[in-house]
Amino acid sequence: MKWPKFFKKHIDDSEEISLSIYRKRWQKFKTMKRGYYSFVILIILYIISFFLPFLINNRALVVKYEDQLYFPVIQGYIEGTTFGQDVPGETNYRLLKQTWEESDSPNWLILPPYPYSPYEDITVEGNKMFDPPNSEHWLGTDNTGRDVFARLCYAFNISISFALVLTVLNYIIGILIGGSMGYFGGKFDLFFQRIIEIWSSMPILYVIIILVSIMKPSFLLLIGIYTIVNWISMTYLMRAEFYREKAKDYVAAALSMGQSDFKVMFKHILPNSLVPVITFFPFAVVMGILALVGLDYLGFGMPPPTPSWGQMLDVGLSNITKWWMVFAPVTAQFLTLLCIVFIGEGVREAFDPKVYSRLR
Amino acid sequence: MIQYFIRRILLMIPTFLGSTLLIFVILQLTPGGPLEQTIQRLQMGNMSGGEISGATGDMMTGGSSILPESALKELNRFYGFDKPIWQRYLIWLGVWPREIRHRDLTFEPGETTLNKYVGYGTYLNLERRENDLMITDESGAVPSDWKGRIDKIKDDGTVEAVIYQTEFSGILTGNLGTSYTYAQPVTEVMAPRFKISIFYGLSGLILMYLICIPLGIKKALNHGTPFDFVSSVIVFVGYSIPGWALGGVLLVLFGGGSFWDIFPLGGFRSPMEIWETLSWWQKILDQLHHAILPIIAWTIGSFATMTTLMKNSLLENLSQDYIRTAFAKGLSEKRVVWVHAMRNSLIPIAARIGQNIGVIISGSYFIERVFNIDGFGKMGYQAILDRDYPITLGFLVIVVLIRLIGNILSDLALATVDPRIRFK
Repeated sequence: MKWPKFFKKHIDDSEEISLSIYRKRWQKFKTMKRGYYSFVILIILYIISFFLPFLINNRALVVKYEDQLYFPVIQGYIEGTTFGQDVPGETNYRLLKQTWEESDSPNWLILPPYPYSPYEDITVEGNKMFDPPNSEHWLGTDNTGRDVFARLCYAFNISISFALVLTVLNYIIGILIGGSMGYFGGKFDLFFQRIIEIWSSMPILYVIIILVSIMKPSFLLLIGIYTIVNWISMTYLMRAEFYREKAKDYVAAALSMGQSDFKVMFKHILPNSLVPVITFFPFAVVMGILALVGLDYLGFGMPPPTPSWGQMLDVGLSNITKWWMVFAPVTAQFLTLLCIVFIGEGVREAFDPKVYSRLR
Repeated sequence: MIQYFIRRILLMIPTFLGSTLLIFVILQLTPGGPLEQTIQRLQMGNMSGGEISGATGDMMTGGSSILPESALKELNRFYGFDKPIWQRYLIWLGVWPREIRHRDLTFEPGETTLNKYVGYGTYLNLERRENDLMITDESGAVPSDWKGRIDKIKDDGTVEAVIYQTEFSGILTGNLGTSYTYAQPVTEVMAPRFKISIFYGLSGLILMYLICIPLGIKKALNHGTPFDFVSSVIVFVGYSIPGWALGGVLLVLFGGGSFWDIFPLGGFRSPMEIWETLSWWQKILDQLHHAILPIIAWTIGSFATMTTLMKNSLLENLSQDYIRTAFAKGLSEKRVVWVHAMRNSLIPIAARIGQNIGVIISGSYFIERVFNIDGFGKMGYQAILDRDYPITLGFLVIVVLIRLIGNILSDLALATVDPRIRFK
């Protein structure tokens, strides 16, 4: 049944008023199928990636040996002799399982679904260098015999975590400095404007490479360095937002009621200037991931043997016949970034009230 | 307008000084600099050709015990590390006299005068007066070009002094120093490599505009059609794969590794021996053959952003009231789109010219590394690995300059497209 417009308005009103603007935007976002499903998939994969040691690992989940249970994944290093295996150093659980199964032993063990670790290299028996993709190593092995698929998955977690932490840090700095610039103006604003001008004329990635080449990179140091060089874009965005919002009546009202500057900035202005912050977020994450891949490729990223897409690409591009070493990381990176770009597109559309009306 | 641009160019100066100062300080204050590198290299001799990059600050103390002090002083002087940092910066800029042609002197205990041959047929008379060094030439006059100072008075009464000439030479006079690794003036190292990068960068940039603008327009005019959808897929690929990674994929596919052998694995041209034997049209073909993959990689760099920008900007303009008015006046759709809407839609595109020029250079160290092109970016990257400070600094200076000029270019382009802009 089709209601006349007048009635329809009244019927829908009761629901619509109760929805906050962010609820509405969330619902709009849900209607963007591409973006919404990318969001769901990515979140699930990211959560799963924290449990990777239980899924992709060369250590067994559970070992039952002579009426005693062992949990190598949690316990860590267990010597091979503990299980009566004649190998130097750590137990080779895949081999152990094979021997026990062949000899109908009462002992048993459960391996993770994908029984290879990202760090297990050629020193472990049975691993080959540059093994092309096969049923055991789904995406082959790299120049030191490490499993590419395992490294790919671990690198996913590291890349996303890196980009997320980086973006959040950038946002905090951007909101604090940019907000103060826009809100207080004056000399503070001028001073930071000059600094921003100077920073933005510098080739950021090159400066990072210089800094990293001097210090020993680690996850946190890399984030620190990247934040120091990369806080500008967000700062500039927030400055413009705060500058605009500051002139509005509600700020004057809040100030005339005796609210402190701090409260006006963070309780009143900030929620009103979140739109660019949120719409920019996915793209900032994309930039973070790309930066990490680039730095790793150049050899100035995470310290080895951290699994990383960029490092794999480096190996692949210096051994051009080992095509899987190039295709695997590029595809992984491409799919991940594609999801984030879709999310970004959805978010942007959900937050953007502009509807393009076309004539003809 | 001209006034505005003059002011903009003048404003470049403090920004330029600020960023070069920052870069200079970062580079100079960090451990593992060229001095320590050289000391380490001398110490190790031929012991190991391996990891030198791990040089750290504490290598210095270990170094001085093995290297003779005079050699250390020589090195310090060569790299200018015997001066405070602000002086080094000013010297590097070229506004503070740089000391050249050092001559070492030693006064034995009790000795106060020396006669020293300094080359060019000149003898100088040197007289020590407490902590001053008096220089006179053979005729007894004070020479204008030679200066001197007492370096150190040792416990046994020996006095070490140095005389030198000075000159103003720095980046402002076009002297970027001498590369440590190439043992050549930095400008000479840079020039041929810069040409290579500019060749690729400009071809990529022009190609990018030639593709993005028409594609963006077509996408906007066919918004929501299958064409829009299919081309969006390409745009999303462009968003999610950086140009250099795509270049790598293309290289694996077409570089003759495991699939097709269509394009060479890299390099700017065929090796010199082959290049010399080619006729002029073969040279052109050879150049193109080598250039196709890198140029694709370069083009893809800002392809996605620019296409989307063009599309959105045109779409937005087409929904404006003045377009409605133009249609209402009875103008043809062609005229409305191509004349009225287009000019306004080009504004954001024009504003990004400067940024794209920056991207050309900054993207180049990845692409040049992938394709093994001996270009500007690869040189800059290699300089960091080698701790070749003059080249690193020179590279940064050039990049900063290009970006600053790019910004002004953007403004110029903006002013040309948008008559509303009155720069104040």
